[in-house]
Amino acid sequence: MPKSLRVLLGATVVVALGAAATLWATAAGAAHTATAPTVTIVYGTAPDYLDPQKTYTTQGGEATWVSYLGLYTYAHKTGTAGGIVIPALASGLPTVSNGGKTYTMTLRKSLVYSNGKPVQATDFAYSIERAIKLTWGGDSFYTGNIVGALAYSKGTATSISGIVANNATGQITIHLLGPYGAFLNVLAFPSSGFVPTGTAMTNLSNTPPPGVGPYMITNVVPNKSWVGAVNPYYAKEAIAGIPVASVTIDAKVESNTATETEDVLSNTADLFDTGDSLTPSLLAQIKSTAASRYSTIPVVQNFYFFLNTKEKPFNSQLVREAVDLAIDRRVLSKLSGGTIVPGCFFLPPGMVGHPTGACPYGINPDGAPNVAKAKALIKQSGDLGTAVTVYSQERVPRTQYCAYWASVLNEIGLKATIKPVADALYFPTIGTLKLHPQTGFADWDEDFPNPADFYLLLDKNSIQPTNGLNYGEVNDPKIQNAITKLDAIPSSQLNQYAGDWTALDEYTATKAYDIVFGYQTWPEFTSTRINFKDLIVQPSYGWDWTSIHLNG
Amino acid sequence: MIRFVLRRLLSCIALLLAISILTFLIFEAMPNSNPALRLAGRTATQVQIDAVEREWGFNKPIYVQYYRTMEKIFTGSVISYTQGINVESQIVSDLPPTLSLAIGAGIIWFFFGVVFGVLAAVRAGRWLDRALTVLSLIGVSTPVFFLGAMLSFYLGFKAGLFPNGDYVNITTNPVQWLYHMILPWCALSAVFIGVYSRVLRSTILDMVNDDFVRTARAKGLTERQVMVRHILRNSLIPIVSLWGLDFASVIGGGAILTESVFNLQGVGEYAAQSIQLLDVPPVLVITMFGAFFVVLLGAVVDIVHAWLDPRVRLSA
Amino acid sequence: MATPINPLERLDEQAVAGAADPPFAAEGADLPPGLGPYKIAWRRLRHNYVALGFGGLFLLILAMCLLAPVYAADIAHIGPNDESQAFNALGPTGIPIGPTWHAHFFLGADTNGRDVAVRLLYGGRTSLFVGAVATLITMVVATVLGTIAGYARGAIDGLLSRFFELLWAYPALLLGIALGVSLQLGGLNVGLFTLHGSSLMVPALVIGVVYIPYVAKPIRAQVLTLREREFVDAARQQGLGPVRIMVGEILPNLSSTIIVFIPLILANAILLEAGLSYLGAGVQPPNPSWGTMISDGIRLIPAAIHLTIVPGVMLVLAVLGINVFGDGLRDALDPRAQVKVRFAKVRRSKAAPAAAAEDTGR
Repeated sequence: MPKSLRVLLGATVVVALGAAATLWATAAGAAHTATAPTVTIVYGTAPDYLDPQKTYTTQGGEATWVSYLGLYTYAHKTGTAGGIVIPALASGLPTVSNGGKTYTMTLRKSLVYSNGKPVQATDFAYSIERAIKLTWGGDSFYTGNIVGALAYSKGTATSISGIVANNATGQITIHLLGPYGAFLNVLAFPSSGFVPTGTAMTNLSNTPPPGVGPYMITNVVPNKSWVGAVNPYYAKEAIAGIPVASVTIDAKVESNTATETEDVLSNTADLFDTGDSLTPSLLAQIKSTAASRYSTIPVVQNFYFFLNTKEKPFNSQLVREAVDLAIDRRVLSKLSGGTIVPGCFFLPPGMVGHPTGACPYGINPDGAPNVAKAKALIKQSGDLGTAVTVYSQERVPRTQYCAYWASVLNEIGLKATIKPVADALYFPTIGTLKLHPQTGFADWDEDFPNPADFYLLLDKNSIQPTNGLNYGEVNDPKIQNAITKLDAIPSSQLNQYAGDWTALDEYTATKAYDIVFGYQTWPEFTSTRINFKDLIVQPSYGWDWTSIHLNG
Repeated sequence: MIRFVLRRLLSCIALLLAISILTFLIFEAMPNSNPALRLAGRTATQVQIDAVEREWGFNKPIYVQYYRTMEKIFTGSVISYTQGINVESQIVSDLPPTLSLAIGAGIIWFFFGVVFGVLAAVRAGRWLDRALTVLSLIGVSTPVFFLGAMLSFYLGFKAGLFPNGDYVNITTNPVQWLYHMILPWCALSAVFIGVYSRVLRSTILDMVNDDFVRTARAKGLTERQVMVRHILRNSLIPIVSLWGLDFASVIGGGAILTESVFNLQGVGEYAAQSIQLLDVPPVLVITMFGAFFVVLLGAVVDIVHAWLDPRVRLSA
Repeated sequence: MATPINPLERLDEQAVAGAADPPFAAEGADLPPGLGPYKIAWRRLRHNYVALGFGGLFLLILAMCLLAPVYAADIAHIGPNDESQAFNALGPTGIPIGPTWHAHFFLGADTNGRDVAVRLLYGGRTSLFVGAVATLITMVVATVLGTIAGYARGAIDGLLSRFFELLWAYPALLLGIALGVSLQLGGLNVGLFTLHGSSLMVPALVIGVVYIPYVAKPIRAQVLTLREREFVDAARQQGLGPVRIMVGEILPNLSSTIIVFIPLILANAILLEAGLSYLGAGVQPPNPSWGTMISDGIRLIPAAIHLTIVPGVMLVLAVLGINVFGDGLRDALDPRAQVKVRFAKVRRSKAAPAAAAEDTGR
């Protein structure tokens, strides 16, 4: 065979093999794509879990709160009206007796799960037990309030003695350790949502269990995508105040917020995850060309740097005051892409008790910091040059907040170094008591519209060996007494005690145990297909899927 | 020929074995902290770490560990603990963009490299020659991810001539597929074109004085005939083997840098994301398979080279 | 990107392997009396203005980076991690300002409100340091191992050659990633020698190891031929031991090969460091490096392109400087340059015989 022909043949073989490989792989890839969605929501972070008794993030909660109704749920309304609790699987509001320690309610009749199986009253106890068994992040709301729940979690009891359910009558009675005004809110958590008795006590995020609700979660590809399908059984049992689903949700995780933003801007995707930040480089374009489908809503969420009040240097009031004065909250707002509203009080605006007066020490959150005074205070305290480790998350922009914080500490005379911790492990890490973290980033998003939820973080009982929430080990008798008194107030009487909460929060600000730098706003951003006016954003969970309708 | 092929394949297999051992050692036997901790990822709890330790056999002797690791890899059961997915199935579904990128770029740089190389050799000393020298030097000095970013910004975002990245499956829409691949192809081939044209040029120029060329000229063939029939054919042979190796290393590695800039969501980007997360199982599998692919393709190229040029068989 | 290892290296390998003589005939053939081989090379290099110019460019960049603290303290008045000016450096939505061309924020700010010019110089220090140390590791280890392999032959050579083949077969970037990720997670702990995962020595070590075979194989090939030379025989007759021979006789003859490899490896090492740092398997924050700066910048491409361009251009200029100078160096030391000169005569003899004597170089 002549030389040239051989070369040609050799080259052709290689190219042909390559082309065949591409085609094969392409076909294989094509086979993996899901069926055509109706509405797409894009996320920058995958949900931690899609199991109702495991998830504790907005991404997961958004799917589970409309797929796993519990005895109660939140009203499907915008703004503060969306924080009101309404009956879901319970037939009405509970009867509260025994000084606020006993709750009695009746299960609605003829309820069925998304697999058609009937709902039983005893499923409620099972669901709570499952949440405790799976160590849901907020399980202390159960173990700290329901009689027998702590014993169950420790393994000394095989069921929760404080929950009594009768399948024949459908009556459920819950006994509490002490009056807890926000208990109705605890019953409205998605983790309190019903799952059938006998559901495996393991993380079922990849194959979510059946539930009652307008939606059901299917087709889960972990960390990539999931589908919110219409629950065919819900239309028949449609509960007042909880609308039926009208679109199928195709949820997708994108690798970065820039792609996410572009997708919605170009109408390739329909809704932008409320828990993400729009990429700053496109914000100007969005505001000018897509103003009719974009807005921001204030969220009851604070951002702060916790300070370890038990160790040097932050056990000194002078040092705490110094860092409070030195931080430029406007910079942090800029680092957030402008989504954070600067502030200094622990209770955010929109929460009962948020102080409207001036910040202590002459701090102006919207103005320049007082670095000179801060430096003087540090010198005065004698803690100049103390080494400080700043715990930091790794995702943007939180890693930037911490880099800025370290820079501020260095500027005024401390020696700060940053210790990055993987995002998913961050909060458990800073909640590990024996590490005694000196300072780091933290935030709190309201679980329910009651200041008691936020003051959980300053409660000495939240100092735990593991998964503690009081990162700075704050133990202030004045705060403690106030919490004990105000926690017992039922939610319905909250407004009468607003003044007490305000006074407490103003006191907390003067102690500067936690350096609050701002409050969150969420973006509401959709494609042109979506009916923007009808949309509801649930203050704790994000998009209300039942409010998503297409235009025209 | 058969003996050559067998010998080559044998040494290839030995090399593959050595590579698997080296990869295993790098990830699991480094004289530093707990390998279970490394595999389980930075988000693992102590319970998960213990489970990983049992599953991969870190409490057993090292050859058991190696065997378990290879078993997991070759039965497709490596799980990424951080992301909770099966690594190999993820790799398979991510192959189309990577193959599109590598094959397309490979064809482009081979074609242009040869064309420019021949032109430069024929017109040595003129502007094309110098231009190619400059291009090749810049190409060798520029990181491909920077070049990709510049192309994406100036031609994609600013000029709006090309899309801003992402990948469209060829079966979904071939035209869009092509449209989205042009910038990544340019970024990846630019690095190679300059170099290949210079290598080809040098090879051709060196051959011009060889005996067989002088003989051809003496026989009365025109310069063009000499060039095409003798010089080009012979100088292409080393280029082809060079191309094979570089193509393999693009799939094995260079694609990682290009894909992440253009968000092509291929194997390379998957590797890049796993590196960012310090998620070891995907990195382990991808580096090993990448190295495997390079070695295998190297063996294939050697065999093709030997088939084309019998002198090589003797020196093996 | 370094993945296509400069094929010029492969040519070097072939050239060196095929060359029966070391670059300079020890007998001094047609050299003017009294001028050593390096003098000849220097003469050639001196006339290569392009190579000298680019070499100077690299030295300029190196000097600027070494003077980073001076720039930070006296000109920009801000350190590389100092965010105290962040309020002025960031727009309302966090978009950093572009180059101001004044002392403050000369090249603009980064997403954290830090001075890009200051970070560029500090980043250069890191990148160049890692590259230099890696090159040092490669050259020393590869020379030693290559010489031993070539001289000892037999089983030792077999073992070392297998080792070189294995490292060489593993694609450079993948090997760098594998080592980088593994060491980053746990550092290195070998007896007394401990390296923390975020130390700068980790990427330097990784890159140094990756390039060993690219130098060791040609050196071994050259040593294989050198050991058959008469002067080696003579040394053996004199009763000199193998180490004395390797160090005293063989090593000096490797010097030009070594010299030629240094800029080649340095350029590739810097590029590999940029690639690894870009991916996150190289230099770790908060240490700035050109690679990490580019990866930060790419995130913000439409809004703040200066974040990508500045470190990228600097990187290209530095590596280009090394590469062009390295090419010139190779030309000056490499007798193959003679081939090109000769060839030029043949090519042009039809059109301009007068121009034939000119060394057209490349």
